[in-house]
Amino acid sequence: MSPLAPRVILLDDDADFLALERKIFESGGYEVSSFSDPKAAIAALSESRQTLIVCDLMMTALDSGFSFAKKVKGDPRFRRVPIIIVSAIGSQKGFDFHPRTAEDLAAMNADAFFDKPVQPQALLAKAQELLSSAEEPHS
Amino acid sequence: MNAQSPDRILVVDDELGVREGCRKILSSEGYDVVTAGDGKAGLEQFLERGPFSVLLVDLQMPRMSGLELMREVRARDEDIVCIIITAHATIDSAVEGTRQGAYSFIPKPFTADELLLSIKNGLEKRALTLNAKHLLAERERRLLELASERSKCNTIISCMTDGIVVVNTEKLVVLRNDAAARILPACAREEIPFPLAELQNTDAQEILQLIIDSTGGPMILSREIALGKETYMVNASPVIEPGGETSGAVAVFSDITALKKLETAKSMFVSLVAHEVKSPLAATEGWLNLILSGMLAKNPQEERHMIERSLLRVRTLRSMVNELLNLTAIQTGNFTLKRTPVDVMAVVREVAAAYAERAVEKRITVTVCDADGRGDPAENVLADREALSIVFSNLVENAIKYGREGGRIDVRVGRCGIYATVSVRDDGIGMSAADKDKVFEEFYRARNELTANIPGTGLGLSLVKRLTELHQGTVIVESVQGEGSVFTVSLPLLQS
Repeated sequence: MSPLAPRVILLDDDADFLALERKIFESGGYEVSSFSDPKAAIAALSESRQTLIVCDLMMTALDSGFSFAKKVKGDPRFRRVPIIIVSAIGSQKGFDFHPRTAEDLAAMNADAFFDKPVQPQALLAKAQELLSSAEEPHS
Repeated sequence: MNAQSPDRILVVDDELGVREGCRKILSSEGYDVVTAGDGKAGLEQFLERGPFSVLLVDLQMPRMSGLELMREVRARDEDIVCIIITAHATIDSAVEGTRQGAYSFIPKPFTADELLLSIKNGLEKRALTLNAKHLLAERERRLLELASERSKCNTIISCMTDGIVVVNTEKLVVLRNDAAARILPACAREEIPFPLAELQNTDAQEILQLIIDSTGGPMILSREIALGKETYMVNASPVIEPGGETSGAVAVFSDITALKKLETAKSMFVSLVAHEVKSPLAATEGWLNLILSGMLAKNPQEERHMIERSLLRVRTLRSMVNELLNLTAIQTGNFTLKRTPVDVMAVVREVAAAYAERAVEKRITVTVCDADGRGDPAENVLADREALSIVFSNLVENAIKYGREGGRIDVRVGRCGIYATVSVRDDGIGMSAADKDKVFEEFYRARNELTANIPGTGLGLSLVKRLTELHQGTVIVESVQGEGSVFTVSLPLLQS
């Protein structure tokens, strides 16, 4: 384990979700950075910190969460950074992005997918799980 | 031919006795008789006094023989009945005479009855021939008319905007119109008929085939087919002859691309509404979940803040539902304006007063300026006061939301030609040209770093536009990113 608390990068264009998720992760002992702009979020990524990303799906464009995730995973330095995608449209008819299999998740460059609103405990548990499994192959 | 006038007979014989005998007999029967003494004279009479129904002609005459005369006459009138009178009634001359077109022979000497019978038969034959000719001509005329009817029909079919393809029971494409040739490139070929299998459209082929193969009663098959960017509805039905027999199948291709687009737009809109409703609900639920989760240390102030955030989102949702209902009412024509003479300035002042507190929170100065120079307040537009209030409220609210902290908002009421104008100017974040183009679209919101924390439904400006247009007015926006925006509403002035 790194001596520093793990870091969570939040990306959402809805101020409430940023504030909400910040409170959840801060209560879980994480250091939180929140962004409403994908470019700023990418710029804030650092190799030296154990990091997790929680990002909204529908921001400026319908699928900007996907393109953000693709950009992150496409960078060899951040390939292992776990990404949780949260969306209010996951189960909406006509816009069914909800992944049903591990392949679906991999295809959207995500490690987990949650419908909004997210249950705080479930989100923290998933974050913990993803961070520890991301850590294992390293050491 | 006139049935009332007597038949005219030309008698040509070099024997005066025969000529005059014939004239006497025939005239007494009511025929109109002309005589001539030889072939030449006969031809002259024919040319001068024709036409004749019958030529009664001797074979052997000076200057021009009977056969020669017959040739000349028949060349000019093929329907004339030629009857030969001759003393030389040999087989040879008879054969020669009929070969030249003579109808019959009367050997000399002959009785009056023999002559009359011969003439009567000849005339009957002539009547039959003429009748047949008349019928033939009539038939040809009918055929011509029919052909022109058909060509009219063909013209109409080829001018139709829907594509038409007709297939016979042998599964050959026997007819296709111009539209069909445009829709299905395989139909554009010159040679028709061609096999249905070469239509190169599986769906159309299949339903036409099904129709032809069906033995049951009449049926109609429909299928939606996509061809490039267009979508067509293909309806196929059997071609049933008057006798009830199926002679083929006809397929009509109707372009339903616009309908499909509308359908897509509608479901997109529904999805969008669902998403826009779900976001504030999810945020509210998220806050309430967090409060109830007990994860956070007890902090009444923090809890209050979270409840306030929830309340704000619920209020946004409520106003969105209201706006949505108003928009739908306008779109479906169920929004009835109660138009009365309204003083625009008075409505603007009311709206400005209602938003004064909100402006103060952001330290924004709102000024209302009467640029009309009317001085006295007066009703100057015919409008629904409530609707105008919604329009100006939306514009002022936006100006505050997107305005600069500590900035200013100028509301200017004036006139331009036959329009009363209200412009709302802020010195806030402004918008990009791309945002400007879409700002009146339903649910469109400029999404960027600066707008992320500004609540809104994305419906306010759509409503402004719709309501303004219901008043035969217009709304336009001018904006410079980073400098601010001006929204100007123009409403027709009340004609005094």
